[in-house]
Amino acid sequence: MLLREVEYARPASVQEALRLLGSHEGARALAGGQTLINVMKARAASPDVLVDLADIGELRGIELGSDGTLTIGAMTTYTDIVDSAEARARPILGEVCNQIADVQVRNRGTVGGNVCSNDPTNHLPPLLVAVGATMTILGQDGERSVPAQEFFLGVYMTAAGPGELLTKLSVPPGKGDGFASVPIGRDGTCIVNVAASLDGGAPTLAIGCVDAVPVVLTPDSVAEDTVRAAVRGANLDPPSDVHASADYRRHLAEVLALRAVAQAAGRK
Amino acid sequence: MTETTVTPERPLVVEEGESKVGFIGQNVPRKEDKRLVQGEGVFFDDVKRHEMGFVHFVRSPYAHARIKSVDVSKALELDGVYGTLTGDEVAILTDPFFELSTPPGAHIKDYALAVGRVRHVGDPVAAVVARTRELARDATELVEVEYEPLPHVLDGEESLKDEVVLHDDAGSNTVWSGVFDWGDFDAALEDADHVVRIERLHFDRFSSTPLECSGCLVEFNRGTGQWTIHGTHQMPGVGAIWMAPALRVGIDKLRFVSQDIGGGFGNKITLHPQYTACCLLARKLNRPVQWTEWRTDQHTANTHGNERTFLDVTVPVKADGTMLGFSVRAIDDCGAFPRYEPLGCIIWAQVTPGCYRWRNVRVDFTQVCTNKSPVAPNRGYSRMQHLWLTERIVDIVAGELGLDPIEVRKKNYVKHEEFPYETPNGCIYDSGDYARCLDIALDLIGYDSLEEKRRDAESRGKLFGIGIGSTLDSGTNNFGQSMILNPELQFSGNNEVATAKLDIFGEVVVTLGTVPQGQGHETTTAQVVADILGCTPDEINVRAGHDTYWNSNAGFSGTYASQFAVTGLGAVKGAADKLAGEMKQLAAAVFGCGPDDIELVESQARIKGNPEAALPFMALGAILNANNAGLPPELDVTLNVRYVYRPQFEKPDLERKYGNLTLTYATQIHACAVEIDPDTGVYEIVDYAAVDDCGNRIHPQIVEGQVHGATAQAIGAATHEIFTYDEEGNLLTPNFYDYHVPHALDMPPMKTGYIESTSPFTPLGAKGMGEGGGAGIHAVCAALQNALGRKGEGPIVWRSCNPYEGVWDLLRKPEDTRKLVSVETR
Amino acid sequence: MDAVSSRTITVEVNGEQYEREVEARRLLIHFIRDDLSLTGSHIGCDTGNCGACSVLIDGVLVKSCMMLAVQADGAKIETVEGLASDGELNGLQQAFSDHHALQCGYCTPGMLMSATALLRENGSPSEEEIRKGIQGNICRCTGYVNIVEAIKAAAQ
Repeated sequence: MLLREVEYARPASVQEALRLLGSHEGARALAGGQTLINVMKARAASPDVLVDLADIGELRGIELGSDGTLTIGAMTTYTDIVDSAEARARPILGEVCNQIADVQVRNRGTVGGNVCSNDPTNHLPPLLVAVGATMTILGQDGERSVPAQEFFLGVYMTAAGPGELLTKLSVPPGKGDGFASVPIGRDGTCIVNVAASLDGGAPTLAIGCVDAVPVVLTPDSVAEDTVRAAVRGANLDPPSDVHASADYRRHLAEVLALRAVAQAAGRK
Repeated sequence: MTETTVTPERPLVVEEGESKVGFIGQNVPRKEDKRLVQGEGVFFDDVKRHEMGFVHFVRSPYAHARIKSVDVSKALELDGVYGTLTGDEVAILTDPFFELSTPPGAHIKDYALAVGRVRHVGDPVAAVVARTRELARDATELVEVEYEPLPHVLDGEESLKDEVVLHDDAGSNTVWSGVFDWGDFDAALEDADHVVRIERLHFDRFSSTPLECSGCLVEFNRGTGQWTIHGTHQMPGVGAIWMAPALRVGIDKLRFVSQDIGGGFGNKITLHPQYTACCLLARKLNRPVQWTEWRTDQHTANTHGNERTFLDVTVPVKADGTMLGFSVRAIDDCGAFPRYEPLGCIIWAQVTPGCYRWRNVRVDFTQVCTNKSPVAPNRGYSRMQHLWLTERIVDIVAGELGLDPIEVRKKNYVKHEEFPYETPNGCIYDSGDYARCLDIALDLIGYDSLEEKRRDAESRGKLFGIGIGSTLDSGTNNFGQSMILNPELQFSGNNEVATAKLDIFGEVVVTLGTVPQGQGHETTTAQVVADILGCTPDEINVRAGHDTYWNSNAGFSGTYASQFAVTGLGAVKGAADKLAGEMKQLAAAVFGCGPDDIELVESQARIKGNPEAALPFMALGAILNANNAGLPPELDVTLNVRYVYRPQFEKPDLERKYGNLTLTYATQIHACAVEIDPDTGVYEIVDYAAVDDCGNRIHPQIVEGQVHGATAQAIGAATHEIFTYDEEGNLLTPNFYDYHVPHALDMPPMKTGYIESTSPFTPLGAKGMGEGGGAGIHAVCAALQNALGRKGEGPIVWRSCNPYEGVWDLLRKPEDTRKLVSVETR
Repeated sequence: MDAVSSRTITVEVNGEQYEREVEARRLLIHFIRDDLSLTGSHIGCDTGNCGACSVLIDGVLVKSCMMLAVQADGAKIETVEGLASDGELNGLQQAFSDHHALQCGYCTPGMLMSATALLRENGSPSEEEIRKGIQGNICRCTGYVNIVEAIKAAAQ
């Protein structure tokens, strides 16, 4: 509940943030804090330096390009997405963000924080993989783009390494998406979640909560048997914890995959 | 999410009776609200003292270990640390806390900090006090404790074997054991047409997790040796009985003060270990010390509700569905230290046959320690576990014999005309009408359209079930029940205190002995007093909270066990009656008439039939307090009265374990409809009805609020709330992230109804009702059973908590639980 | 600029200015309760789930246990103490009392702030919207029934 001693800076620019992150080995970026502050309260991790990104305006905002591509700043909150007219270019984004926790968390929690913390039970990693998002990372050597599927590397680990910042992500337009989950209570932590998208032609499925990173499947069709076979063929080895056994997660993955695909098919 | 229907404007059903005049029975505005909605309540953590130190405990990471050494030297070097306390010091400065049990449980040594051994993860080993909260937390990381881990035991049945023993002084993990045998169970077995056997049922470990964690701010007065504890203790009378001998001081050296408490639900009754540690620190460091429990501490190391396993349940049944009784072997897991236990080993006997007319009951009850958090009287304490058993029995028997669970209940319920009803072990159920409450619940939930709802659910691919949960909330304990467990104990009866005075300016001031945590005591007290004194509740000033110094408390004072409407308001009524009598005597002396000629009305004492001859309260107060020359010498009034309410109880017959153990029995009959997604086990409570009968309702809104809250807690316990441990004895649900309680969107639409069966035994005809008896748990289990099973087939709901995966397991492996039940037909 | 372990911050709380030196690690809720002695906002958990600490920061509803005090530098904070005027309860507070939407009162300040945020944004919320609006506030006493009724009444 009480943090260890920490140093704090609130830079006004991305360059200054990168400098601070680069010059202190134990530095972490502070976005909405809805995960990091809790981690620090539990003393599960105690960065030496917090670099607060709150004042960096260029990291916020949602732009809709003429080709329908959404560009979302990493510091955009879930509420920003839910309320955004532009974000309706990809309706599933707002719908899923609206299922995250509660108003207070949605007002502070950010898209960037959700993906960079990459807790296996988070909503956005599987969703962004399914919709084919692209992440933009800014580091000491400049900017690079990483497709969502390559962005998530391990539990709490992403392609944005120490001294780097996720600055924005872009999402192509589309409507043929689905998201199915079994949370613990309404809008609670997910036991299993599955995102599906049909906009690329063939279905893309991303299963969350079953591995360190979203498990991506591309079944040949939306037919039930095909989807089921794809999930089974993935030989999922989910974790067991107090909320669910490995068996139950494996079973839910299959059921929810079918539901996510059905949802997506219904909306395409 | 359908609209919630709250109790309709007009009561659904009200007992015929005199129309009520006065404030009792009305929804007067709550006195507590004004300060609470402005954030001006005073909870213990709001109290600040200059130069106070903040306490943080060093806690065991092991379920069971020997403490080899505790080194606080590095912590003491940290700038800002004021001092520490270790188990070695505690063992020198204090005596072990008083144990309630007979040997071997009597020999357990329980101290403020772990002495020599830790017995559950989170067991406090040392305490550090520092200038800030953060520094205290930092300093605990510098305390070095060397442990030698020991084997641990986490299961009640396993613990019985005494292969791993927690308390060497006791030599056994069995805290208490005994057999209760009433009626003639063997004859009932002979007489039965069917015998239904249930191998095992399990009531899971959970607690009501009040939103405010525990804590205290303790000051020590060196000159007088007096401690003042601003805290959250729900039962300070008993707290003092534990703490004073341990600290080797007289009871009056412990002053308990509280104003507002953020929920207790029984989880703030056994705080004496932590409070004793804080008392020692306040004295040692000569400064006030403040301890705030964290949520994680509350879940791991404060208290849980009793976990109980029921084995070999045997139910003799007649062909027409009449149940003759039951026998069971119960194993109660009380965690690492008994503390308030083994009282749970008898308290269930207040409701031995549940709502039913069963005359032959045999219970073989054993309570054991395990390396888990200690238990405390969590809401529904011990009766809830037992009543869940009786409801599971009724549903399983009905299911196995192909009988309608509604009809079986009505057939076996105690009948309205049988009240007051004496149970097989001599408890007197005061009043009630269970069948009527059940009919109301069925009506509220639309039972007649059950089949239509089922078809509709099935058309959407869901399984549908309706379940009933009937339960009793027994209140106002006869503490003589403790003597049944341990004849050496000198506790019996019950009491509560109130004072009432008329101040010099005519202000009526009342103090209570209770320790409210949101039950609206100030308000209902004012209603009762206002009706007696003939004024308005606004004119009654009820002091907020509790303070030993008010001298309005007695041995059993506190707020627990569903009794305020009886004991608290009984004391209030007694004090107000006494004060009213004195006011009339004084007015009579002033007017030169008799006291019977005086009435109290419109905030005045006046001669009946002569409204001109009136003395406002202010005049009465002023005359006696400041202007009393000339009053007749024989006038013996003080306008400052203290009244102790004592319910009528006898000491129980210890040989037969027989006697009246509680004064009142409120009824809760709930009905619940669930829809289960058979592909996932995920289920939703789609409709819910709660019918309550707590006798005369002093403040209907307050009663209904308790019904809503109890239902929400029960639904939580039925669906997600469970304290699960891993193999190492770590609690896997130590916070609100993992321990999911109902939030606003998790609540089903709820309809409520009520009847009022006046209690013949209480001063106001009211019954205590706050705990609620866990009806929601019984109802949800019953609904799930109804959805999942058909006669003689399908799974058996055998646990109180049924999370989604549990339901999925029941669905896909019905044979695993089906084999728990067998029917022998003669 | 460099990172610092403590700094002086300025906040406006319920219209009043405060300037305090504070450690970077201090949570906003502790700053409000201990440093500013505004004890109306409460702490009920340690994982950001219960919402008892909910306040408005520049008009936005947040859980102040998941913010550092230094993050609130320069912000306008509204807490429960700012709802009434000179001891006169506002409509929402009165509705809570009228509908018995509080028992122990511990969750109440956070609940009131969440309801305030909700009603500012949506003057006539449906029941589902009300429940969604207070989903981040745990109550163990009331079962939420009367809280929902009170917010409905206040909305009218």
